[in-house]
Amino acid sequence: QETVTWKVQSHWPGSSSSYTDSLGRLKRVIEERTDGRLKLQLFEAGALFKAKDTFDAVSRGILEMGTISPSYAQDKMTLAGIASGLPFAFRHVWEAAYFHQNMGFEQMLRDEAAKYGVYWATDKVYPTEMVVKKPIKSWDDFTSLKIRSSGALQTFLTEAGAAASYIPGSELYSALDSGIVDGAHWGAAQGAYSMGLYEVAKYHVKPALNIAGTDVIIVSQKALDKLPEDMQKIVKQALDEQFWVRTNEYQYKERVTLAKAIAEQGVQINTLPDDVQAKLVKTAQGMWDEEGKRSEEAKKALGMLKEFLGNLGYL
Amino acid sequence: MGVLSAFMKGITRLNDFVGRWIALLVFVMFAFLLLEVGFRYLFNSPTVWTNELTQLLFGVYAVMSGGYIMAHRGHVNVDLIHSHLAPRKRAFLDIITSVVFFIFTLALLWFGIDMARDSMSSWETSFSAWNPPIWPVKLAIPVGTGLLVLQGLVKLLEDIAIAFNLDYYRPSEQAEEEEEYL
Amino acid sequence: MSIELLTLLFFGSLLFFLLLGLPLAFVLGGVSVVFLYFTWGFDSFFMVASQIWGTMGSFTLVAIPLFVFMAMVLERTGVAKDLYRMMHLWFGGIRGGLALGTLAICAVFAAMVGISGAAVVAMGTIALPSMLERGYDRKMALGVINTGGGWGILIPPSILMILYALITGVSVGQMFAAGIMPGVLLMVLTAIYVLVRAHLQPHLAPALPKEERGTWGEKFRALRAVLLPIGVVVMVLGSIIGGITTPTEAAAMGVLGALISAAVYRQFKWSIMQEAAIRTFKLTGMIMWILFAAHAFSAAYQSMGAQDLIEGLMQGIPGGAWGIIIAMMVIVFFLAMVLDPVGIMLITLPVFMPIVKSLGFDPVWFGILFVINMEIGYMTPPFGFNLFYLKGVVPPGITMKDIYTSVIPFVLIEIVAIGIIMAFPEIATWLPGVFF
Ligand code: NA
Ligand code: NA
Repeated sequence: QETVTWKVQSHWPGSSSSYTDSLGRLKRVIEERTDGRLKLQLFEAGALFKAKDTFDAVSRGILEMGTISPSYAQDKMTLAGIASGLPFAFRHVWEAAYFHQNMGFEQMLRDEAAKYGVYWATDKVYPTEMVVKKPIKSWDDFTSLKIRSSGALQTFLTEAGAAASYIPGSELYSALDSGIVDGAHWGAAQGAYSMGLYEVAKYHVKPALNIAGTDVIIVSQKALDKLPEDMQKIVKQALDEQFWVRTNEYQYKERVTLAKAIAEQGVQINTLPDDVQAKLVKTAQGMWDEEGKRSEEAKKALGMLKEFLGNLGYL
Repeated sequence: MGVLSAFMKGITRLNDFVGRWIALLVFVMFAFLLLEVGFRYLFNSPTVWTNELTQLLFGVYAVMSGGYIMAHRGHVNVDLIHSHLAPRKRAFLDIITSVVFFIFTLALLWFGIDMARDSMSSWETSFSAWNPPIWPVKLAIPVGTGLLVLQGLVKLLEDIAIAFNLDYYRPSEQAEEEEEYL
Repeated sequence: MSIELLTLLFFGSLLFFLLLGLPLAFVLGGVSVVFLYFTWGFDSFFMVASQIWGTMGSFTLVAIPLFVFMAMVLERTGVAKDLYRMMHLWFGGIRGGLALGTLAICAVFAAMVGISGAAVVAMGTIALPSMLERGYDRKMALGVINTGGGWGILIPPSILMILYALITGVSVGQMFAAGIMPGVLLMVLTAIYVLVRAHLQPHLAPALPKEERGTWGEKFRALRAVLLPIGVVVMVLGSIIGGITTPTEAAAMGVLGALISAAVYRQFKWSIMQEAAIRTFKLTGMIMWILFAAHAFSAAYQSMGAQDLIEGLMQGIPGGAWGIIIAMMVIVFFLAMVLDPVGIMLITLPVFMPIVKSLGFDPVWFGILFVINMEIGYMTPPFGFNLFYLKGVVPPGITMKDIYTSVIPFVLIEIVAIGIIMAFPEIATWLPGVFF
């Protein structure tokens, strides 16, 4: 009986809960169900490839599997912008999950990735939330903030009137500590906790800046095709199931981590005042249309999203 | 042999020319970082572009340095054995080890070209808030590596000349020319 | 092929080609490519290009050219020279006085930079010629710079500690706080060594003859030379601590300070600036090409299954809990000779941390041991990076052999420091306890 080993490059550092919870789980499940015929060899973020090259490496078939954020594949995936989260679109995690799996957005992503020989499977949907040093009580509080941000959210926060700048992750803690920035987002509670941000920023801002499929597992189609049919099926099923297991588990761990931060480090939840929220939503909606302009698929996905949010009574 | 000498001089001049211009980027990086601090601290309005542009320039600065440094013998080595060898023996040894140099740089050149071509096919941008094109920086990888390979070739030709007493290259002339730059 | 055998061949080829005199950057890169070809095939070379692209995009490294440029300007304009003249007038009467002064500057530099490399190159430029001019033994001078230049990763801010915190999940603040006292310990131990050695063998670090020590008038006039360097330090440290800049941006403040100093010295000339820029380019490029290749090298090593090797090694170590900790230190010691810190951390920490925690040791304390060990690895022959960075700035007469042998006593001192911190963990754990 032949065993196959897949090299799997993560975009999470080893201390990140997702490294063990997502990749560790997938490894266990796949190895169990294939009776050890398929083994996953895990590598931490950056060990083999720069995170942004992982999609390329999987697409070329150099790596059999990897994890990414959709934003790392923006260059090729026109749907990536929508996948990594339009600000202030969904209000609950279940909505994003429903949109992905029951409205067909996940399939659209899979189809687009297939053009590059990549099998796309969203690992989970979850919120991105900010931590700040001083609570935001008014619109003026918000616009006077200096926030560490990146990617589309940086554009959004700047557009909305805050001063968003990019600072590399390795300097984030010091920057927050010394007051170079007053706020930052790094995932949500678990991300902030793992980076030690609660030590220096005590207010956890709700609601989320976005809720999206920010973590994705990608598989080389070439490697998948080489497996016997039963094993291909096992991998795909494990990935489908992974989405629901992880989305749910992540929600649970978010709450537990936030509770711990509140109890142990005196963190407080800072819910944005209604008028601030309303203004942010308005800015956000103005930006959504940009994403729809990238391709026919993106336009279609944006249309679907708007209809969905309309049905929920949000638009 | 005139062609060889001309080639060697030409490549070294080219690397010198490129290096002396790229070296000035340190002033630009300095200015942008200072600008960012100024905007953020004095006007409370950090820019979306300074740090990213600085980083992109730094990438070009670093990767384009290979050939220039090679031309000026600036890539450090262990001279434990080297320093005890006569010039001809040293040249022989360098000819042999150049195989490792070319394996590395040619592999890098090959995949650097591949990466740059891929990036240029979509005129790749960074997709940050500022979203500048990054294909020129990726293009700098094969360009910088190519300059390094060429200078490595010059070094190989020099070593061959020294090892086999060929007259297309005389080390003393070259040494004098080097002095001018230091 | 087993990973044990691969490791032997991999590091063996590295040593072989290094001794044959091929520059470190090309040895690291070439050996990686050859081994990748045989373990993973031609396509895997994409990894080499990807690692280089990744290194080019590392924002924190931007501090290297800026701090090097700062040092070049201070040196070229004569500011550094006057600083050393001042130190010589004041401390020249003590044997080893100039070396102590150099160590003090190293400590200040360490508080300004978060990465290794920049400090060694900068101090090599500023301090080495001054010490050699005044009759210091070359090995004493080289060793002092090598050891002091490495302190930057132990004394906060430290990018390395942030990485350690990120990988292991300990608090960055606690790591920073924990590094301070061990940093002081290292300084004290090194200073004691220099003083004792200079006392026993005066020719290594000669005192200034009595008639040249200058009058008090001269001494106080010479003090003016400190004002500008202090100004530069205040600009850099002040902007970090005051929350004006990130540590990387602070490097630009250092350059600004150096330029102001140049103007005060009436040396703000294009010829000087251009020359400083070109030397900075050469040195930064040298460091960067080593880093490019080193990152490719550790990626290649990891793809071969380095972590399996560490896991294998950790099984069946005799000597109980302390035996395991010491074994870990030995492993890091050897890896740090040849891999970059990020590579070492990625390979070893996922294996080490669960064991360290299950044995009941404090991960912050372990992190400090880890970081000091990495400083040692930076300066141990044959591959320690700082040795090569220093080689890039020394005058032609100094060989690699001089640099290699110069570090021996200083490596021993750091090993003693690790021993002391193992015996008295409070040295590392007390301050974090006070702050957090
Ligand atoms: Na430091
Ligand atoms: Na090292």
